[in-house]
Amino acid sequence: MAGLNQLRQLQQDFMHYVLGESSEIVPQIESTPALSATGRLDLYATAYKLRLKEAISTDYEVLHTYLGDEQFDSVMEAYIRLYPSHITNLRYYSIEMTTLLKTQAPFNQHPVLAELATIESSFANSFDAKDQSIITLTELATLAAEAWATLQLSFQQSVQVLPMAFNSFAIWRAVSNDEPPPALETASEIAHWVLWRRADLISHYRPLDAAEHVALNLALQGENFAVICEALLDFFSEEETPMKAVSYLQSWINEEMLSGLDY
Amino acid sequence: MSRPFLGFGLGLRTEHYQHVIEHRPQVDWFEIISENYMVSGGKPLANLDKIRADYPMVMHGVSMSIGSTDPLNQVYLKKLKHLIERVEPKWVSDHLCWTSVEQVNSHDLLPLPYNDAAINHIADRISQVQDFLGRPILIENLSSYVTYKESEMTEWEFVNEVVKRSGCYLLLDINNIFVSAHNHHFKPETYIDAMPSEQVMQFHLAGHSYNGEMIIDTHDHDVCDPVWALYEYALKRFGAVSTMIERDDNIPEFAELRAELTQAEEIAAKTLSAQQLGISGRALLRGAA
Repeated sequence: MAGLNQLRQLQQDFMHYVLGESSEIVPQIESTPALSATGRLDLYATAYKLRLKEAISTDYEVLHTYLGDEQFDSVMEAYIRLYPSHITNLRYYSIEMTTLLKTQAPFNQHPVLAELATIESSFANSFDAKDQSIITLTELATLAAEAWATLQLSFQQSVQVLPMAFNSFAIWRAVSNDEPPPALETASEIAHWVLWRRADLISHYRPLDAAEHVALNLALQGENFAVICEALLDFFSEEETPMKAVSYLQSWINEEMLSGLDY
Repeated sequence: MSRPFLGFGLGLRTEHYQHVIEHRPQVDWFEIISENYMVSGGKPLANLDKIRADYPMVMHGVSMSIGSTDPLNQVYLKKLKHLIERVEPKWVSDHLCWTSVEQVNSHDLLPLPYNDAAINHIADRISQVQDFLGRPILIENLSSYVTYKESEMTEWEFVNEVVKRSGCYLLLDINNIFVSAHNHHFKPETYIDAMPSEQVMQFHLAGHSYNGEMIIDTHDHDVCDPVWALYEYALKRFGAVSTMIERDDNIPEFAELRAELTQAEEIAAKTLSAQQLGISGRALLRGAA
């Protein structure tokens, strides 16, 4: 047990050094004429940062281009300092990037950065989201009339609604296409976009108008069709509302967003 | 598990998915990085399934952290077992190292001190993992850049003891032996001579980089001549062992890696008898005739 405690202490000391924290590891490592103990340990500390930076760079290519190397490096340094990895798959290492950019100065003074990070992380989330069955219009057609009022919708895990205060999607699209980004514009009100993956494994995105956003949000929360129709009365007449609700439902089905109809 | 010979394989990398799916190049098998497929769905798993339908696979992990003093990561092990059920690999490997402690992951393969406490700890944990997975695992030797003052034996003595006490198999990385031999001033042949032949199940070959006096295991270059020579030495010592080339950075076109694998096949054909090489070797010799 004494040996195991010693091993644990050694591992903690080593990790503290790798993380750039105060550490007792140096005297436990042999120095040679070729390289000191510190020089040897620095190989690991340097590799640690490089590896995490490579993972972050892979996940946020647009943010990287938009900020330039120097500014993006300061984002990565802050991320690595504030978010030691607790995961086994580097794919998920940088999932808190939006939180960092929203909460940490000076990045939070430029909220477009968090929006760009949200777009990129949402694409990544849709890319390897769970494979689920896809509802077709045929299944909708077989629905009994009395089932409609209590109808609840299940969505693909990849479906995400993104609120945007800026023209971030336009910036993201331009940078992705190696074009100069448009000037930053603040939207008159928050715009909502939906991003999801279709059966061909390609991710898609489009803006939502105010009424569809309300309907989609309620549907994603598990509210039934009657509740959705009632909320749409704020946008449409009593005559129009059921048809509008059905047309939203049909477009979500056509776009392969739905995985289940529950009633 | 007696030693099956799978022939000559490559590490499957995302850059080559399209080529492999469209052209089905002649490669005996692929090794996948297990963690890359511990995701919910989408393209990574779809591509994996397509390629698996055409090729035998082995699974190679980097996050088991078998030498850590943290408890074994049960969530990770369950995901690994789930992936094993999907892939049905010929075998599963990870490294003789630790990667995390206090639940912080370095995402690096960190060396252990070579002493009895570490041997007892790791042998016990390998046994637990093997029991959980219901199959023996392979462990791979590291490249390392430090020597701990509390080490009490050589690396090869350490590896031998871990294998003996846990009943696991060995994934012998020929490049790692070369790198560590350079960094710690021992003869790589001494290491190879000391390995338990019957437990050696797979070889890795890879390239490396020089950083001043040290060699770093970067996997970003071709396999160099001294490592090819060491590979030949290992073949003479162990006979036919399933061999693959690992390339993780500066990844070239698939054809270039395929050509490098041909070099491994030619060295094996020159070094071993057709009988030792089995079907794959005979095919190679026929091709060369």
